[in-house]
Amino acid sequence: MATQRETDVTARTDRETFEEVDWDTQEVSTFNVSRTAVAELLAYGAIVVLFAYDYAVIRNEHPLIANWDVLSVEWLFVATLVAVFFHGVVPLYRNPRMREFYWSRFVKNRVAVAALVYLLVVFVIGIVGPAVMSPPETRFTNRIVPPVGITATVGGVVKTGTWQFPLGTTAEGKGVLKLIVYGMRVSMEVGLIGTVFTVLIGSVVGSLAALATALDIGWLDEVLMRYVDVQSVFPTFMLLLLLTYLFGSELWMIILLFGFFSWEGIARTVRGEALQRSSEAYVTAARASGASMLYIVQRHLIPNSANSIVIGATVAIPGFILGEASLAFLGFSDPTTFSWGRTISAGQSNLATAWWISTFPGIFLFFTVLSFYYVGEAMRDAMDPRQQIEGGGGL
Amino acid sequence: MSGTEPLLSVESLTTHFHTEEGTVRAVDGVDFDVYRGETVAIVGESGSGKTVTSESVTKIIDIPPGEIVDGSVTFDGRELTGLSDEELQEIRGDRISHVFQNPQNGLNPVYRVGRQIGEVLRIHEDGISDAEVRRRVVDLLDRTGIPEASSRVDDYPHEFSGGMKQRVLIAMALARDPDLLIADEPTTALDVTIQAQILRLLEELQADFDMSVIFVTHDLAVVSEIADRVVVMYAGKVMERGRVEEVFEAPAHPYTRSLIACLPGRGSAMRRIEGSLPEATDPPEGCRFHPRCEYATDGCASGDQPPLYHVGGDGNRQSPAPVGGDADHTAACVYYGPAHDVSTLEDGGDRQ
Amino acid sequence: MKWYILKRVLWTFVAMWIALTLTFGLISASPNPGQMRATMSCAAVGENPQECREQFRERNNLDQPVTERYKNYMVNMVTLNWGWSESRSQYVIPAILDAWRFTAQYAIPVLVISTLVGYGLGLYSAYKPYTVTDYTASFVGFFGISIPNFWFALVLIILLGTRVELVPTYYQSGIPIQQGWLSLANLRQLILPVTVLLTASLAWQMRYSRAQALEQMNAEFVKVAKAKGASQYRLMIWHVLRMAAVPLSTSFVGSLLAIFWSGSVIIEQIFAIPGLGLMTYTAIVEQDTPLVLATTLVTVFLAIFGNLLEDIAYVILDPRIDYGNR
Repeated sequence: MATQRETDVTARTDRETFEEVDWDTQEVSTFNVSRTAVAELLAYGAIVVLFAYDYAVIRNEHPLIANWDVLSVEWLFVATLVAVFFHGVVPLYRNPRMREFYWSRFVKNRVAVAALVYLLVVFVIGIVGPAVMSPPETRFTNRIVPPVGITATVGGVVKTGTWQFPLGTTAEGKGVLKLIVYGMRVSMEVGLIGTVFTVLIGSVVGSLAALATALDIGWLDEVLMRYVDVQSVFPTFMLLLLLTYLFGSELWMIILLFGFFSWEGIARTVRGEALQRSSEAYVTAARASGASMLYIVQRHLIPNSANSIVIGATVAIPGFILGEASLAFLGFSDPTTFSWGRTISAGQSNLATAWWISTFPGIFLFFTVLSFYYVGEAMRDAMDPRQQIEGGGGL
Repeated sequence: MSGTEPLLSVESLTTHFHTEEGTVRAVDGVDFDVYRGETVAIVGESGSGKTVTSESVTKIIDIPPGEIVDGSVTFDGRELTGLSDEELQEIRGDRISHVFQNPQNGLNPVYRVGRQIGEVLRIHEDGISDAEVRRRVVDLLDRTGIPEASSRVDDYPHEFSGGMKQRVLIAMALARDPDLLIADEPTTALDVTIQAQILRLLEELQADFDMSVIFVTHDLAVVSEIADRVVVMYAGKVMERGRVEEVFEAPAHPYTRSLIACLPGRGSAMRRIEGSLPEATDPPEGCRFHPRCEYATDGCASGDQPPLYHVGGDGNRQSPAPVGGDADHTAACVYYGPAHDVSTLEDGGDRQ
Repeated sequence: MKWYILKRVLWTFVAMWIALTLTFGLISASPNPGQMRATMSCAAVGENPQECREQFRERNNLDQPVTERYKNYMVNMVTLNWGWSESRSQYVIPAILDAWRFTAQYAIPVLVISTLVGYGLGLYSAYKPYTVTDYTASFVGFFGISIPNFWFALVLIILLGTRVELVPTYYQSGIPIQQGWLSLANLRQLILPVTVLLTASLAWQMRYSRAQALEQMNAEFVKVAKAKGASQYRLMIWHVLRMAAVPLSTSFVGSLLAIFWSGSVIIEQIFAIPGLGLMTYTAIVEQDTPLVLATTLVTVFLAIFGNLLEDIAYVILDPRIDYGNR
């Protein structure tokens, strides 16, 4: 009977789940000195060199590449995209079986597929749009023009919208459509950079705490997790208001503050999973064979928490986007960037006459956040083995 | 075996689960009877449908995704499949009760054990006094062999060991003196020494409480100790039925033979059944076992599962057993039906 | 258990001390807007900015050594001498006492409704998962957590306020003072703020309780209870909800506070409700340091206190806690 079951298990390996993947063969770890790792390090190195050149040599006086003057937040964004590429795209490309398994489960949720398509469109427009489109300009001659085909009375003057400004203009004469396109990049930057930082800090702290427990340094675990407790109830939003008030509100700083004060969930998850796994046979075996603890963390504990980390990250992204928009709405935003929250706030004073200023960016913000939540939910359904018992996920 | 009418009669019971991967035909036309005072064992591998069969009786499977598609369950003259949930609630825990496989999680961790046993009494006896509940709970714990029952009644589940938890769960099942106890692998999750104790306890209690027992297990060794009759299941179908001695002495179906051959001390210890259980959403045509059966003929691979044919020299071999069954030894294999020669099986039966 | 609770209470004081110290550090390390203002205004009227700067520092005791300032700061904080608010021309403590009622009048109803209705819906959709009801609830949940509350407020103002003039679009703080907090006029002007804040908090409560309840519903003890003959109601309330309450209790305060703090600043700013949120906002915008400090500390203390309540609730709800280990 026992041998019988073993054959069952081997027969079912084609339905391998993320947890069962033998990570040693996947080569996704950054620390693993493989060609991918070298390529990734080179990419980061190139970013650092270019950054140094931009700020130290040409002193940020003229655009770095053609007419693109790379902003501080865009350096971070490029680095984030590199990280996402090497830790998301590459492993998926290399492991077609895993990719197909997840994809087949993901596509069961039709709404999530639509949401993913929407997000890809927003992402691409957010990257390409600002590169080919001049920034929105203040033109008082164009102030408060309604969207195309719509007639409205503004300040006693009857105006009808034209194709020049398909979604109308603001009180400063900025085109709402342009503001939305520029806002797409801001939202993507906020969501992705913030999340990468959150994941980075959260997994380091989480595995450190687990490691401390495994090595009987109980007090370190206690200190770290107590801090996590405090941070989890800490009014982060108030803290962000306070810090932006004290130190200014440049976008890169807002994003980093989000990242620095939102990692407690990931840290808890990683610690929990790592603790559970550190008692498992392969970790004990690795320790017995003389592997260093650092190696074990890199090669076993963090990769095996990947599922939970991805699930945590998908919830973090929309949270950051909403948070940044809220800050911007309250006036705590980078004046050199065009956040959706700021545009919505700009429309607040003209709500009765010019409804379109606040409405359109809000719709995009709403659908972007909604799509991230839907995609996150579908990914959890696809990845969480417990969900297999329960059947399909939400809508 | 006493009485002429069975206490529980299961006829062509069919239970499906509707999942994303398709419809799982977990139980596919199962018949068996349980008479008063006897122990019937349902035996099979995991995935054979034995647990779903036992949980379909009082419909404690989740509906949906589960659905009892067909068949009837007659308990003490009453048809259960058509009853409403409220009517079934009156029977569950009162006349038919369950003991499950995993005692570790069977008790709600946030309530004291006494309260959880008392819950059964409070559900089924309106207006029962607190003192009465406590008195009876302590008595039940005592009877199920829990030492210092009067103080243990106020402990939380995490203060009990696995074996003790299973005793608590048995006490819970016996609270209302049921007619039928359905025990689903009650010893599988326990240490070997504890297993023996729990089995002995169940045997004693069966006599004490004068119950019938359905004992669901994958462990043939346990069956031979505790059961009067046995029902062998494979892929949602009954493969063989009969008295324990008959089935163990002369297993009829090739599947049962392989199972018994796998028992330690019987035949070759290294022997195992080749292949694996069929996909639950897409069972094979014909006999469910034919892809793994070394005696399978072309005829075994088409049509439906063969009916249960009588086994042995009672001259009744050529006709299918009456639906609903009885104490006779029957097997769902074409070799016991018309136009086949049983001796083919006997010749190949080198495992005994 | 008594020792455990005592330990947690002591920890609360330690945490408050840490929070106070951190805030002191932040304030000391950051540029002082008052000082800059004083220096600039001196320069504007032709006086020596350096001198004015010194005067300002002296007036505000900034010339003292850090340890002395830290000691004074701590004494002031503990004795509730939280300073003078320039922007409100009022001491900070009375300012907070004035403001909190305006926040509580909508925050408490939202808290109660979102918890009761949110848990009810979450439990119900876990009870009937993958049905139309569940899908509807799930959609409402997604809607609630995704819609930006500030935008939702503006849309509601456009639709219900300016178009049909059904409800007031901003809050008049005179109404509760003159007509009473429970007057119809006051309740009417709270409809929009409550609706907006409720959407998000209800959705979060519902989603979280559904997830926890679903987790518990697969537990073996629920099947055992069903086999005992327990009714659906008994299963869901006595077993599933009671068990789900353990994980729910650990996140209840944290998640709600997060929604409330950001929500109250935004809602009070949009509807002009003179509560704690608006006070925080104006304090920051007008660089009123003592008031910023005070509102920050109030929120931090509330969070720490909430954490204490959570921890106590947790040990009461879950008998399995090993006190030595927490």
